[in-house]
Amino acid sequence: MRKGALILLLGLALGAAAFAGIYLFNTARYRAMLREPQPGLAWLKTEFQLSDAEYSRIAALHEAYLPECGRRCALIEEQNETLRGLLAAGGGVTPEIEELLEARARTRAQCEAQMLRHFREVSRAMPPEQGRRYLAWVEAQTVLQPQPMEARHHPSGPAAPPHHPE
Amino acid sequence: MSEHQKSEMDERTLDGWLREWRVAGAPLPPRFQADVWRRIEAAEGRARAGVGNRLLTLLNESLPRPRVAFAYLAALLVAGAAAGSLTAQRQAGHWTSELSERYVQSIDPYRPSLGLP
Repeated sequence: MRKGALILLLGLALGAAAFAGIYLFNTARYRAMLREPQPGLAWLKTEFQLSDAEYSRIAALHEAYLPECGRRCALIEEQNETLRGLLAAGGGVTPEIEELLEARARTRAQCEAQMLRHFREVSRAMPPEQGRRYLAWVEAQTVLQPQPMEARHHPSGPAAPPHHPE
Repeated sequence: MSEHQKSEMDERTLDGWLREWRVAGAPLPPRFQADVWRRIEAAEGRARAGVGNRLLTLLNESLPRPRVAFAYLAALLVAGAAAGSLTAQRQAGHWTSELSERYVQSIDPYRPSLGLP
């Protein structure tokens, strides 16, 4: 009885150890990435097989890009605040409001153009094949991503067209 | 007719046969009828405890045999490793999506935040 029970327990322990060992081994690099200060960049290094030198260059580009991006976001927020004030004042769509809407659209376009320039710089810092793969992937994820506004009027879009009362 | 009624009827029929049982040229042993019922009850008891008994037999007699023990340990080792590999694969897919999403969110101000830390 004791020998049988011992073998039974040994089998269960062996199974549990095999499960834990394989799981920890196969997920080690992901857990390491999640512990990094910038997990997204750590993932980029692994996904696009970057050397340490390439990664350092890309991390520097990333750090330089973020403050500029932040400045444009702050500018758009200022423009939104001004627009809120003008709309709260009442009245029609004044030339001032139209001008502000155009200015905000320009800032947004500059923001996207700056983003595209950054993607190209990053892709150039990668090995050529990986750079092409990165560019195709990142553009599909960002500037080529359908926005809710376009999807709303697209027949196969996720949102149903708005109902216009007669 | 319910199962219970059917069983009672079967028992009455068997009781009748046992009372009428005659072996040509030899008398029945004493308490023949009671012995037959006792054996039936014992057989039913063994059948009820079958699963538990079989497991105990497996644990006490079969598992300590070297071949059975080796096969059992190998099966659990393989099953544990396969389950660990599948779970890791699923978790890796989840983390890959999360990490790539974090990167895109860090560079694209238009990307809605998914509430990732």
